[in-house]
Amino acid sequence: MRTASIVLAAYVLCVIVAAIWRLVPTSLLRDAVPDLGALTAAYLGLTARRDVAPAVGGSVVLGYLVDLISGTPPGLGALVLGATSLVARTVQQRILVRGTTVTMAFSAFVAIAAGIVSLIVRGLYGVPTSTIGVELQHIALVTIATAIIGPLVWRVFRRIDAMFARTQRERDAALEGLAP
Amino acid sequence: MTLRRRLVDWVLVGILILVPALVLRSSLSRGTPSAFDQAVVRITAPLEAGVSWIVEGIGGMWARYVALVDVESENRELREENDTLRKQVAELVRAADDVAALEELALVKKRTPTDTLGARVIGAPLSPQFRVMRLRIDRGDKEVQQDLAVIAGTGPVGRIDKVYGGYADVVLISDTRSKVDVVLKRTGARGTLVGLGKPDSYACVLKSLELAAKPELRAQVGDEIVTSGVGSIFPPGLVIGKVSRLDGDDGMFQNLEVEPTADVSRLRAVTVLLVLPPPADPDAKTKKRSEPAFMERAL
Repeated sequence: MRTASIVLAAYVLCVIVAAIWRLVPTSLLRDAVPDLGALTAAYLGLTARRDVAPAVGGSVVLGYLVDLISGTPPGLGALVLGATSLVARTVQQRILVRGTTVTMAFSAFVAIAAGIVSLIVRGLYGVPTSTIGVELQHIALVTIATAIIGPLVWRVFRRIDAMFARTQRERDAALEGLAP
Repeated sequence: MTLRRRLVDWVLVGILILVPALVLRSSLSRGTPSAFDQAVVRITAPLEAGVSWIVEGIGGMWARYVALVDVESENRELREENDTLRKQVAELVRAADDVAALEELALVKKRTPTDTLGARVIGAPLSPQFRVMRLRIDRGDKEVQQDLAVIAGTGPVGRIDKVYGGYADVVLISDTRSKVDVVLKRTGARGTLVGLGKPDSYACVLKSLELAAKPELRAQVGDEIVTSGVGSIFPPGLVIGKVSRLDGDDGMFQNLEVEPTADVSRLRAVTVLLVLPPPADPDAKTKKRSEPAFMERAL
C-alpha cells in the first residue's frame, strides 16, 4: 500500500511536471526536466525494508506509466527505473540521505545514474540516440533540475511514509529520513 | 530474513526486471502501442487531461494578466508602425488613383477626334452636403478658354466657365447654368439636360422630351442619355447619364431626372476638348428675303 501510494503520488507529480514544462518558454529550460521517476525509484530502493521486490515492482510500474506519458517505447523507462531502484538499494547501507545538501547531491547522483543506465539500455536495444554531446548536455540539464527539485519530492515521499508508519518512532524516523 | 525468502525476493526482482526488458523488445519490434498500452492510456488520460487543464489555465492567467511587462512598449511601437504603414498605404492609394486617372485621360484622348488637353483637378468646392459644386483645373488662359468642353473617362463633366491666370473653373453639368442637348439612346428622342444645382445630389432634369404615343417608346428608369452633338459643345454619342426617376408628364413632355455618369467627387484629372462650339449666327434675327426666281431682268 505504501509503495502504491508513493508510485501514485509520483505519477501525479510526473503528469504535473509534464504539463508545466510544456509551457516553459526557453528551450534550454524546457530540456531540463527533473527526473521524478528516477527520484522515486531511488527513494523506493533506498527505503526498501526487507524485500527488494516491492521497490523494484513499484519502480517498474511507474517507469511504464512514464513511458506512456512521455512517448518513449514502453518498457524503456520501466527497465531504467527498475535498475535505478537496484542501484539505490545497493548504496542503501553505505549512505544516509539526510539534509537538503545531501539530498540534492544524492538526487543528482540518481539522475546521472538513471541517465547512464538509459543510455546503456538504449544502446543495447538499438533505440535511436542523439550525438554524445547532446546526450551529455541533456543528462547535465536533467541532473541539475533533479537536484534542485529532489529535496521537495523526497519531503513529499517522507510524508507519505509517515502516514503508513505503524509507530510514532517509525513516523519520526520516516520524517527525519532515517533508513527503516 | 531466511535464505528462502531472500531467494524468492531476488527471483521476483529478476522477473520484474525481465518483464520490462521483454516489453521493450516487443514494443520496439512492433512499433505501435499494444492493446494493453492503449487500455492504460485510456484509463490515465482523464487524469492527464485534468492536470493539463488546470496547469494551462494557471499558465494562461499568468500570460494574460501577469506577464505583460513589455506589452505597453510593444503596443506603442506597433501603433507607430501602424501609423507609418497607414500613411504609406494612403500615398500608394493616391498614386494608384493618379495612374487610373491618367489611364482614363489616355483613353479619352484616343477616342476623341478633336484636339484635347489633359488637366489636373486642383480644387473642388463642396456644398454643405458635401457635393462638389464646381471644379478648378490647372490650365489657364494660355491654354484654354471659356466654353470649352470638359470630359472624363466616364462621361462629360461640364464646360469651362472662367479662366484666370493659370487656372480655370469648370461649370458642372449638374449646375443650373448648364444646358446640354441630348438624346435618349434607346428611342432617339431628343431633349435638353439642365442641371438642378441641388446641394445634396448631382441630379439633372431632362426637359423638352416629347411624350411618345407608344408606351415602349417613352423613357424608362435606367435608360442611357447621350450627347446629341447638336448645338452643343460636346461631341455626339457621349454617355452623359442615366434616367434615375420618372416624374410623370404634362401631356406633351415627359419629366425625368437624370443621374450623370461622371462621378465628379472622385475626379483627379479631366480632358479639355480644344474645339469651341459653333458661333451664333449673326444674321439669326434679321429678315432676309430670297431673291425672286422669276424677276424682271433688264434686257
